[in-house]
Amino acid sequence: MAAAPEQPRTPSHLELFLGMQQVALSAFGGGLSAWSERIVVEQRRWMSEEAFLTGLTVARLLPGPNQINMAVYIGSRFHGLGGALVALAGMLLLPFSLLMLLGLGYYYLHETPLVDRLLAGVITASAGMALSMGFKIGHSYRRDPVALGIAAVCFLAMDVFHVRLIPLVLVAGPLAMAWYWPRQTPRREPEP
Amino acid sequence: MTLPLAHVCTPQALGDWRHLLAVIWDFLSLSLFSLGGGNTLLTEYHHLTVDQYCWLSSRQFADLYALAEAAPGPSSMIVGLLGMGAAVKEGPLWGLLSGVSAEVAILLPSTLLMVAASLGWNRFRDAPLRIAVERGLGPITLGILLAVGLKILRISDHDTPAYAVSALVCVLMLRTRLSPLWFMAVAALLGLLGLVNR
Repeated sequence: MAAAPEQPRTPSHLELFLGMQQVALSAFGGGLSAWSERIVVEQRRWMSEEAFLTGLTVARLLPGPNQINMAVYIGSRFHGLGGALVALAGMLLLPFSLLMLLGLGYYYLHETPLVDRLLAGVITASAGMALSMGFKIGHSYRRDPVALGIAAVCFLAMDVFHVRLIPLVLVAGPLAMAWYWPRQTPRREPEP
Repeated sequence: MTLPLAHVCTPQALGDWRHLLAVIWDFLSLSLFSLGGGNTLLTEYHHLTVDQYCWLSSRQFADLYALAEAAPGPSSMIVGLLGMGAAVKEGPLWGLLSGVSAEVAILLPSTLLMVAASLGWNRFRDAPLRIAVERGLGPITLGILLAVGLKILRISDHDTPAYAVSALVCVLMLRTRLSPLWFMAVAALLGLLGLVNR
């Protein structure tokens, strides 16, 4: 951290809304997290780098989409639940409206041959993207045979035995947490 | 579940408020089980919208997943698109209302939890529970994401060229930093030329 960072300033509700909207707009080409940091920490100086990174940790740890959790973290830091909702609205309003328009277009047009052919191609790419999600986080567990075992059991339970997600998490979650419960001093885990 | 393969799926009428409440309850309760950012829920969304409530076909589900991935913004907004399918036959306004309700239902519980955690984080950061959650749920997320990926692959691809494109995109996603929009654009072209089919 720099020696004497500027005192972070508290944004009003309106500023929160506009700031998160700026994040959403800047990220139209991707990279939501990077834009969020640039705007919230560097440009508007609402919080320190450290507070932002803490937020990212919490956002990843808790249920819910990471980017959306991050907006909730930023908003609730300043104005509690109201701030969280305002930040969330700022982040989602434009992309969600656009997506709803696309959705209406889809439901009314998806049976026309041109759109159908186009989508027949696009879904092969998105299926490849979906497949890459697991492999992307998989490499960080390659030296932990227990973790790979847990992952394999969960994969088989879902894919072969069609166990639903909620019972799976309710059973496997506490077992895995018991195994990884820190004994004595908490160890630092390697960053994935 | 135990539905026979020949099970004929009849869409649930959401005009009946009991069905509507059941659907909203399903999304509300899934919200707190989304590990690793929400993509772990995709097979459950498929189960609810295609197998259980039958307001989408598998093919539409695959299309909507692609749409949500291609559009700007968090990809978890797919719930809004799926929800829209429940009522869009009644007209665009009902479709919008239904899409917004589904999105609110999936976001509300996790948002409330996140607000509570943001405010009380300092007391929690070194608690054994936090460490156990972080380390224990990671491998579960990994297993579920692999199953989710395979499920989406199966509902999207039906012939060898399609599988080949998906495999190539998967490798490129892992090995390069190219924007996925490029892969989608090229795949769209292959679809238009008739080189990949459903």
